Amino acid sequence: MQVLDKLKSSNKSERRVRKKFEEAKGLSITSLLDVLTIILVFLVKNVSTEVIKISAEPNITYPHTITNDKLLEKAGTTPIKIFPDRIVVGTEALEYGSPADLLTNAQKRNDLLTYLKMEAEDIIQHQKAETCLLVQADYSIPCEYITEIVRAATAAGYSYIYFATLEDADWLKKYSVSLAE
Amino acid sequence: MRQYRPSAMRQQKSQTVPQEPNLVPIMNLFLTIIPMLLMMVVISQIALLALNFSQGESGVSYGQGGGGGGAKTEKVEIHILGEQYAQENNTTLGMEIREPGFKPMTISAINGYYDYVTLNKTLQEIRSRKGTLSDITVLVHPDVLYGDLMKTIDICKVNGFTQVHYTATKVEYY
Repeated sequence: MQVLDKLKSSNKSERRVRKKFEEAKGLSITSLLDVLTIILVFLVKNVSTEVIKISAEPNITYPHTITNDKLLEKAGTTPIKIFPDRIVVGTEALEYGSPADLLTNAQKRNDLLTYLKMEAEDIIQHQKAETCLLVQADYSIPCEYITEIVRAATAAGYSYIYFATLEDADWLKKYSVSLAE
Repeated sequence: MRQYRPSAMRQQKSQTVPQEPNLVPIMNLFLTIIPMLLMMVVISQIALLALNFSQGESGVSYGQGGGGGGAKTEKVEIHILGEQYAQENNTTLGMEIREPGFKPMTISAINGYYDYVTLNKTLQEIRSRKGTLSDITVLVHPDVLYGDLMKTIDICKVNGFTQVHYTATKVEYY
């Protein structure tokens, strides 16, 4: 029996051999993570949370200014966007009509005044904040429309009116160069 | 029956292989935050120019010159003349600066563009004469463009005129 056992154990063909597979290498994302971390830090540094309500409209050409007044910390803001062909009012982006309606349509003017009064009352009563109107208008809008909106806003009780522009500390220098040319 | 502990040689392999931290959740977080922040960066480019109507000023005043009511403070006025006004009155397009005690000064437009460089110099001169003056009135004609109004107000603020009053030549509706 012992001899038989020995023979069985010495039979190498039956011996199982485990193949050694190399472990699959995972995608190395460490360097990508480093880049993303740098971008994240850069963005967090640059992003200002105070103007979070103001979204730049691609269809509006903003005028350039050197000054950049800070929005009041405790301010209830009503945005109004004046495109060359239409006006959008409020945070709900309500379609008001064309800028020409401000001058030609008395009913529309009253509607705007009523809406702004409601908004101003809401800000004063519920938010207990300063009333601010934020005007985002295209460079090429004639001032007569801006005047009507400012007039309606002040009649409705808005204390501050902010005009959205693009900050450019060198616009006057560039302007003088272009005038000289 | 004797029991044996696992062989130290068996354990050796698993102990030596270092485990990488699972970066996938962090990556997911970053991939969410970064596009959001990128969108906000566009937002933060916008600057603001403020007009304050809370200090006794009831709104846009209308009419030529003057400046409405209240105590007669020394006010400098900038009239931005529109093309229509220039044609009707046979004057040049440009701006007019009215300062108490001085003759009105006209800054003519160059090739149809308002001369902000001269306006800036003029306001600097006024600032050097009147160091404490903070009020200035900008009177705008209806056909003047919004961009030109903003640039005029901007130059006023740059020269230390923090209280800019907005005035227009228009009929009152409200």
